[in-house]
Amino acid sequence: MAVVAPGGVDPGGLPTAMKAPPPPKVAGRRYDGTALLFLGPTAILMAIFLIYPTIYTIALSFNRGRRGEFNEWVGLDHYIGLLNDKSFINLSTFPPSGAVWNNVLWAIFYTSGVIFLGLIVAVLASRVRYESIIKAVVFLPMAIAATALAIIWNFVYAPDPNIGLLNAILDPFTERGISWLGNPSLVNAALIIAGIWGSVGFATVILSAALKSIPSEVLEAARTDGANERQIFFRVILPMVSLPISVLAVTLLVNVIKLFDLIYVLTNGGPGTASRVIAFTMYQEALPGGQFGRGAAIAVIMLILLIPIMAYNVRRFRSSRVV
Amino acid sequence: MTRSLRFPALLLVAALSAAACGGGGGSPAAPASDGAPASGATGGPVTSGSAGTLNVLSLWGGSEEAAFKAVLADFTTKTGWGVNYEADRQTYSTTLQSRITGGNPPDIAIIPGIGFLRRFAKDGSLKKVADLGVDVAGLSSSYPAGFLAAGTVDNELYAVPAKYNNKGTMWYRPDVFKTAGVTANPATWDEFKTTLDTLVGKPGAMALGAKDDWNLTDWFENIYIRQAGVAAYDKLFSAEGDWADPSVQKDVDTMLEVINDKYVVGGIDAAVGRAWTDAIAQVFKPEPEAGVFYEGGFVGGIATTQTNTDLVIGETIDWFPFPTLGNTDDVTTFGGDVVGALTDSEGAKQFMQYVVTPEANAVWAGTGAIVSPHTGVETSAYPNELVVREAESLQKAAEIRYDGADLLPAGIAGESLGALLQRAIVPGTTIDWADFQTRVKAAWDAE
Repeated sequence: MAVVAPGGVDPGGLPTAMKAPPPPKVAGRRYDGTALLFLGPTAILMAIFLIYPTIYTIALSFNRGRRGEFNEWVGLDHYIGLLNDKSFINLSTFPPSGAVWNNVLWAIFYTSGVIFLGLIVAVLASRVRYESIIKAVVFLPMAIAATALAIIWNFVYAPDPNIGLLNAILDPFTERGISWLGNPSLVNAALIIAGIWGSVGFATVILSAALKSIPSEVLEAARTDGANERQIFFRVILPMVSLPISVLAVTLLVNVIKLFDLIYVLTNGGPGTASRVIAFTMYQEALPGGQFGRGAAIAVIMLILLIPIMAYNVRRFRSSRVV
Repeated sequence: MTRSLRFPALLLVAALSAAACGGGGGSPAAPASDGAPASGATGGPVTSGSAGTLNVLSLWGGSEEAAFKAVLADFTTKTGWGVNYEADRQTYSTTLQSRITGGNPPDIAIIPGIGFLRRFAKDGSLKKVADLGVDVAGLSSSYPAGFLAAGTVDNELYAVPAKYNNKGTMWYRPDVFKTAGVTANPATWDEFKTTLDTLVGKPGAMALGAKDDWNLTDWFENIYIRQAGVAAYDKLFSAEGDWADPSVQKDVDTMLEVINDKYVVGGIDAAVGRAWTDAIAQVFKPEPEAGVFYEGGFVGGIATTQTNTDLVIGETIDWFPFPTLGNTDDVTTFGGDVVGALTDSEGAKQFMQYVVTPEANAVWAGTGAIVSPHTGVETSAYPNELVVREAESLQKAAEIRYDGADLLPAGIAGESLGALLQRAIVPGTTIDWADFQTRVKAAWDAE
């Protein structure tokens, strides 16, 4: 991106801006040409790299899209096809299945799991002297690339006790190893646990900082008033870190909708299509499958799912209650 | 979509090639060359020549890559053209598609599946072999018809066969067979089941790594071509195929006679979560857990060079032909890669003209890493008996057919054949073949 940036900036833009007279202080004219000059380069870059591809993708989703070009109008075919595709969404069984449902599972269990464990680690670590060591250790998985993380968990979950760590531990108690990634009813839980392991450190760091920002006077006052530690946690600490928690939840939800790498390396969406998620399906259809139109339709669905989260974020930015 | 995906796709390739190296079960693929296509900056020319340089993209790693580089070196010596070689094993199709869409195709590409070949031929990305200065009519004397058919789309040759493997090879441990009391290699399906019965518990019958679902499609195809016959096979894997035909479910039922909890060591559940290279190790590691593993001829190279270098051909590793089923004709399937040109540059022409010569194929065969489809290659050119027998078995077969799953369109919506078979081998699963037929048909129609 950085390489492209100079080309997108009007070379004469900056000197002109410097020569420009100070904006006239007239009520009701708060935005003038100067603001436009400052925003212009960013706006151009956004238009090229964000708005244009988005419009292109939306248009492509109504097209056959061979080679990613517009060659055959298909209307809503891709969307109808996706809604009828049991590997994408299947509401006819209980529990439902398909990539969209798997994303729902991720959104619920991954997000809550990460926040819950992150909070526990942050609260408990803040009460011991070697806090920084604990936090460093918990944070370590964040430094691992998701693909490397997936390979590590591949060794944990391998079905053969001489390869898989979990099955080596369980070997004395089970007749046959448990196939964590080969059993459709276990695979999503196994993947979510691997995902949680990779993200708890992130939650810990954010929440730990939030805990530190609680004034000690508040906690002392609560203690003086006779509150026990449980009450302090639920009545004082938790409400005071609720905003960081919501920021964290939004970040994790966005991560869930974009989730791809872990699935790709650990299961490739299998067994069958049991562990596919929306972003993985998009990749699968567009690149190995060559169905760019259908891939674009999935991308649009992802975008629609992200809109409420974006709207929430924008509203929070507008409000003064930014962390 | 493509435009928004192109950049992430490149990043993805970069990230995943690292995974390909790490997860390849000790594959000797060089990380530098695997990473090359992502950035386009690393790697550099493998050979440099005075005439110019052409770009070659392949998906080979390990011994296959080393063998191909020997061929490239010979090409440079003979023609003076240097070669910029790039290899990407894990995300090959992604890389190739991204480069074609981005208007920067390699001059020469190794193409793994005929589904891909059709896609790139139909959208005009591949150049016709006839336009590259190759005597197409003369090729029929150099290659068996089945091989040239693999590179043909709409009666037009777009790619020439590069290398192939017999997919009708049932790998086994002769020492395990001996200890368990198996006296003769099974020739028929019933004999095969008897053999597996004998092997159960001594130490185990069969290894399966169905996490790599193409292992299951290979099982399916090899049963189908023998049980339903060549004509039915041709029809099923063409646009006229009918997956709702009873012969398809019958094939799966036959598969389940051997792919079940009784014969597969560790059980089906575990097999679905196991990588195929781990299954090879179950049979060919120093203390085997099973006697039989089915996959193509390339298993030999992996087992002897990566799994266990102490293996001795005929004593601890060998193969027998896939058991016959009803149809008595000597038929089998093969898999292979074809080589095509994506530009009509002078270098691309020179390479295509070179790669069909007996000399080029002899260099290739001499590495022992591949079986050459070229009829001008003598069996004495191969350095190892397993490969010689693999080549001979295909030469004497009455009918050979290309790997069917690679013939299907790449763009089947939703569940692929391999993913579907992963479900099908779990006991008690019912497969909705009519639904699969609808999706396959739609993919053919969309091509």
